[in-house]
Amino acid sequence: MMKKITVNFTLNGKAIEVFCEPDKMLVDVLREELALTGTKIGCREGECGACTVILNGDAVNSCLIPAAKVVGKEIQTIEGVADNGRLHPIQTAFIEKGAVQCGFCTPGVIMSAKALLDKNKSPNSDEIREAIGGNVCRCTGYVKIENAIKHAARILSEISVTGGGK
Amino acid sequence: MMKIVGKNIDRLDGVDKVTGVGTFSTDLSAPGMLYGKILRSPHPHARIIKVDTSEAEKLPGVEAVIHRGNVPNNPFNTAAPMYTTVPYLKPVLDQWIFAEKARFVGDEVAAVAAVSEKIAEAACKLIKVEYEVLPAVFGIKEAMAADAPEIHDPRITPEGKNVVAEIIRIPPGLPGDALDKAFEDADIIIEEEFKTNVQKQCQMENMAALAITKPDGSITVHSTTQTPHPTKAILAKVFGVPASKIRVTNPPYVGGGFGSRIGLSGKAEVVAIALSMATRKPVKVVYTRKEDFMATDTRHASIVNVKLGAKKDGTFVALDLKGYTNTGAYCTFGAELPGVLGAMTLAIYRIPAIRYYGHSVYTNCTPGGAMRGFGNPQGNFALERVVDMMAEKLGMDAKELREKNISRAGDPWFLPYPCSSSELAECIKQCARSIGWERRGKLNNGSGHIRRGLGIAVGTHVSNAWPFCVDYDNAYVAVQSDGSVNLSVGCCDMGTGISTSLPQICAEAMGLKWEDITFTFADTASTPFTIGNHASRGAYAQGTAVKAAADDVKKQLLGYAAGLFKVSPEALIIEDSIIKPVGAEGKGVTVVDPMTLPGAIEEAAAAPVPPPQDHEIVKPVHTQGPQKGISLEGLAYYAHIRNKQFIGVGKTIPPNAPPWHCCAAEVEVDTELGTVQVVKMAAAHDVGTVINPLIVEGQIEGGVVQGIGYALSEEILYQPNGQQAHTSFSAYMLPTAEDIPEIDTFIVEGSDPSGPFGAKGAGECGLVCPASAIANAVANALGAKVNELPMTAERVYALIHG
Repeated sequence: MMKKITVNFTLNGKAIEVFCEPDKMLVDVLREELALTGTKIGCREGECGACTVILNGDAVNSCLIPAAKVVGKEIQTIEGVADNGRLHPIQTAFIEKGAVQCGFCTPGVIMSAKALLDKNKSPNSDEIREAIGGNVCRCTGYVKIENAIKHAARILSEISVTGGGK
Repeated sequence: MMKIVGKNIDRLDGVDKVTGVGTFSTDLSAPGMLYGKILRSPHPHARIIKVDTSEAEKLPGVEAVIHRGNVPNNPFNTAAPMYTTVPYLKPVLDQWIFAEKARFVGDEVAAVAAVSEKIAEAACKLIKVEYEVLPAVFGIKEAMAADAPEIHDPRITPEGKNVVAEIIRIPPGLPGDALDKAFEDADIIIEEEFKTNVQKQCQMENMAALAITKPDGSITVHSTTQTPHPTKAILAKVFGVPASKIRVTNPPYVGGGFGSRIGLSGKAEVVAIALSMATRKPVKVVYTRKEDFMATDTRHASIVNVKLGAKKDGTFVALDLKGYTNTGAYCTFGAELPGVLGAMTLAIYRIPAIRYYGHSVYTNCTPGGAMRGFGNPQGNFALERVVDMMAEKLGMDAKELREKNISRAGDPWFLPYPCSSSELAECIKQCARSIGWERRGKLNNGSGHIRRGLGIAVGTHVSNAWPFCVDYDNAYVAVQSDGSVNLSVGCCDMGTGISTSLPQICAEAMGLKWEDITFTFADTASTPFTIGNHASRGAYAQGTAVKAAADDVKKQLLGYAAGLFKVSPEALIIEDSIIKPVGAEGKGVTVVDPMTLPGAIEEAAAAPVPPPQDHEIVKPVHTQGPQKGISLEGLAYYAHIRNKQFIGVGKTIPPNAPPWHCCAAEVEVDTELGTVQVVKMAAAHDVGTVINPLIVEGQIEGGVVQGIGYALSEEILYQPNGQQAHTSFSAYMLPTAEDIPEIDTFIVEGSDPSGPFGAKGAGECGLVCPASAIANAVANALGAKVNELPMTAERVYALIHG
């Protein structure tokens, strides 16, 4: 067992300090040390995307990132997407457009979609499919997920035009 | 005019799931909880001579090591239907927590509970097992050969070596000569053999269970099961304890199922309980993805033989079908799955003479179990390929040949429930139009290396599990003292939306405002018995019970309200949670305090102590209109303080009903590489009345994409040493967002007389036809014989180049 170290990073906008093994994977830090179980584990091999979080603006598989690598980084998880209980337009779109079924892949897909929309306000189908290409969803067949992300992009661009929202 | 059924109401579990606060079994923990890990056999067939746990027990952090020598050895079956077996069929009980011999690579040999997963894993490696390796067999035909090794005790295989349970014959009994005579009348006979491979459910949440056993003998299990109530019955048999001591519950969400956990979640529940009993602490067992691939039920691989006879005009006259399914090391669903294969394949067309013979075969593969479609995709692929071959031979259009022969509503057939509804003809029309069927045969000019093709396939399925296993259902509806309504059903929502659809049925039947309903589910401690969520039965079978319970409680409410209004119950209705006179449908009424109604005034006048004049309980009026109404809230409170409660009970035996569906595919085949690209899929479904269109579309689309994977890329193959060759998402190729074609989904709404508001099953049929349609399209593109799934580049290349 490796000697524990202190890991400091920003999580959902707040400074966090965790004392854990440096090789503990970020997904386990989130789920076990911080009790944030919204980030899921589907394979632990970076092959399903259920554990996707946003690290310094990029969607990453948190099952492949050791705690030592997140020192000083900015991380966003599904728990930080809603704004004080108010759903983010991506979250609302996922419900309204039927993009949620079992819900196990949903947090990861939403994080991939958010990382995309944070950078690209009006992605086309190929860009959306590429962004969520690493997220396996076995329930939906992806059709309604793509619709939801497109819908969220429209809503977000309306908000930015009218100046509302976060 | 329905207000809630048929509407795209937002899923009740939506907010929980998009915010990450919804809990799944893998998310749970309990005070003092330990972690369990399983040691699995590296051999496909080996007698376990000795298990030495001494080194493992010495590892710090290890609290228990269990193996065959220190756990109950009651035989069982992880599959729920073996605890709901219909009269005169014998359940196959061929599994143990740890068997005396390993029968596939990954079979459970021992397990450890420790303070961390890492320590439990390390301890598993310290267990020394002495094996006597036995000869193994992996293929269906090989396992039926005279020199094949015997995998189970002959008492478990009375019909023959490695033959699982009873051989299924439709019609039952020994065959007469009617079928042979019918074939004599045929102008053309086509006889072919088809092979399908193993598909994996790949539900996103791995098998998981948290077991909490207590000194009073009670056992609580939070798990990923699709069937809490039958799972409780299985666990009682495994541990030899009264079922009343056991509670099984989902927490409440289950990360997909697709049939993989109808009954136990692999052995997650039994191992967690056995370890919890050994340590007297809560124990959580979560499978890895690799364990899920190698050691939990898959779809059955199959060999299907079809012999179809037709007249020159295309009329089908005789069908002889044989189905052999590879059930792997243990029976699980191998007893009834060949029955569904046969029945669903024979049911598609009107054919006067039919015969089916089928059974499962034991091999040393991972157990074949239930996966969405349950035998139907295997049989459908075989027959639908032969129908295309027949069309070609007859010089007829493949779509028209189908239209000529499909079963129609009201047709007499061999199933013990009626062919009560069908919009299949319309489904075929919609698909043909969407895919541009008229282009078939005109897509290629012979140049280049890309060939295009179109294919179509049709099918049916079930809406519940009858007659393949016991199928009845129950629901409670309780009006709360605040006028809200709590519905209670023992179902599991593994993503199908049933925890929204059932409340929709209840709210519609009772005339409730959507906000007024709450739902209790997925817990044996608080819900009545149901056989669970499988066989596309949720909306149909559980829905029938919900409708009955809602009708029952509505009758009670109207009966009570009638006494207050001083009218007959038939003179009242409930709309938007307001009880009002017939005739006021869709109109405003003045909502008053029930105390002001004539029946209440009479009661008050007769009371020993007159009520105070300022008695004001009910909150402001909801609507305004010429007639009087009362709110459910007002009535419930009025009743509550008079010791009156309204509880509706639904106890139903749904007969079963056939959903129908058509799929059409357009493909491009690269003749140099053998690769198949699906350009477009069209899917049209008659699932009766649609409770929630968005949910049903999602079921169809998800099924179609799983069907594309089944058609083209998904399979688990075996190495010669019995190791599974595909045990990760990088080896097992399932479709991602970047692989999907345009998908055109149509809901062809019909109505079935037996379903709640006319609904039929919708969960599985999305996956029945896609592979058949794609195979027909590939055959059309290449002019080749496509008799095996999946159509990987290697297989298609071999079809082209020999």
